[in-house]
Amino acid sequence: MEGAATGGDGHAPSAGGTPNRRSALHDRHVALGAKLVPFGGWEMPLSYKEGTISEHRACRSAAVAFDVSHLGTVQVTGPDAFDLLQRTLTNDLSKVAPGRAQYTHLLAEDGSVTDDIIVWWVDERRFDVMPNASNTSSVLAAIGGTDTTADRAVIAVQGPDARIHLRSVSAQAAAVGRFHVTKFDWRGVSCVAAGTGYTGEDGVECAVPSAIASDFWDAVLAAGVAPAGLGARDTLRLEAGFPLHGHELGPGITPLQAGLGWVVGWDKGDFVGRAALERERESGPLRRLRGLRAEGRQPPREGSAVERGDRQVGTVTSGNFSPMLETGIALALVDTAAVVSDGESVTVTVRGRGLGAVVAPTRAWPPSDAKAGAA
Amino acid sequence: MNVPDDLRYSSDHEWARADGSRVRIGITDYAQDALGDIVFVDLPALGSDCAVGGTIGEVESTKSVSEVFAPVGGTVAAVNGALTDAPELMNEDPYGQGWLCEIEVAEDGALDALLDAAAYRQLTES
Repeated sequence: MEGAATGGDGHAPSAGGTPNRRSALHDRHVALGAKLVPFGGWEMPLSYKEGTISEHRACRSAAVAFDVSHLGTVQVTGPDAFDLLQRTLTNDLSKVAPGRAQYTHLLAEDGSVTDDIIVWWVDERRFDVMPNASNTSSVLAAIGGTDTTADRAVIAVQGPDARIHLRSVSAQAAAVGRFHVTKFDWRGVSCVAAGTGYTGEDGVECAVPSAIASDFWDAVLAAGVAPAGLGARDTLRLEAGFPLHGHELGPGITPLQAGLGWVVGWDKGDFVGRAALERERESGPLRRLRGLRAEGRQPPREGSAVERGDRQVGTVTSGNFSPMLETGIALALVDTAAVVSDGESVTVTVRGRGLGAVVAPTRAWPPSDAKAGAA
Repeated sequence: MNVPDDLRYSSDHEWARADGSRVRIGITDYAQDALGDIVFVDLPALGSDCAVGGTIGEVESTKSVSEVFAPVGGTVAAVNGALTDAPELMNEDPYGQGWLCEIEVAEDGALDALLDAAAYRQLTES
């Protein structure tokens, strides 16, 4: 057998032989028998003993815990913090308040998404800005602040039963509202919890200081939560239709193309990339992110051409097997000029062979009962 | 890793078991573990010819796709159709229900060039 990774999912050693960073939970992952892989300059669990598909289904039906310490934390504090973030990031912070979380983008001047970010507005004068692992340095360069990534672990407890189990670890953390942020004390140590995640399920992400991270992780697992790796995190976000930077977002891809116009605070003042986005809004994006459902189990894969008739109308940005639908699913950037409707049949060319698929909403799970409509 | 003593192995992590002129093949426990959850198997066409080392199928997991190489040459005489709907059989029972196909070999001694269990074990542990 000879294998090839199927996506540019960051599973490559960091450049220049720099050793990969390890989370504060590294020893726990080893003890749990995790398969560790390089990801965005970190060595992180791909899966544990149960495997990606079991972990995925456990998140949909019960609860799992992910170590997402590889996400960056850039702390921006002080009286100017609000204004700085307002003129740097796309979303409008004035729509929320201290104690709330907001999904937002950092753009390049041409409107390309440099990174997609969750901002935890922890208190009046403190913002914890959370970029993707490999983009932490570019976000730090754009907004300044202090990189506190090394000081904490982030544990994401996700799934319909996440809060029930988390309650026995910290009732305060478990009570945080969806897209709310709260400080909580755990064994006398100050931590932060947010009602955020990347799975399409309810859940809570807990940022805990490195010194107590392993104990917190142990307590979460002891409460009945199964560990899950980045493999499941990727299939879960794909099913939920969430973009992954480097795939659905990145150089040459704007928020409007990714179908994320709601991330743009049009009613606020200037921000990096605004002029380019306004031009694109005026003329209409040339391509748009769409969902694909394969006819069979074989996943469409990143980079594959999407064809209608003998004409290419798009390109797959991420594809995999959906453990819930038990078919291949994908996200693809499709030319708007081709006017492809949901429900239309297309062919995806995967390794030289044509694969039948249907165009669909980006969110594959939970499935929408709505009949196929216009794009 | 489970490496049954009665099988022969290729250095590409396929196993082979001879029954007369028919050789049943599959992927090893080591291979299935390295791949992770298998979600799709592309089986060879019945009656197709294969040369030693030629591509005889494709196994796709949630994280990667791998070609399977024929450990022996001959004609594909049977394929494991159960893998179409249940590719996870390759993970759960790689030497049993997770077999890939059977190859009718032209001459005796087709397995002689392959590794025995001890040699394969050494390969995977090195």
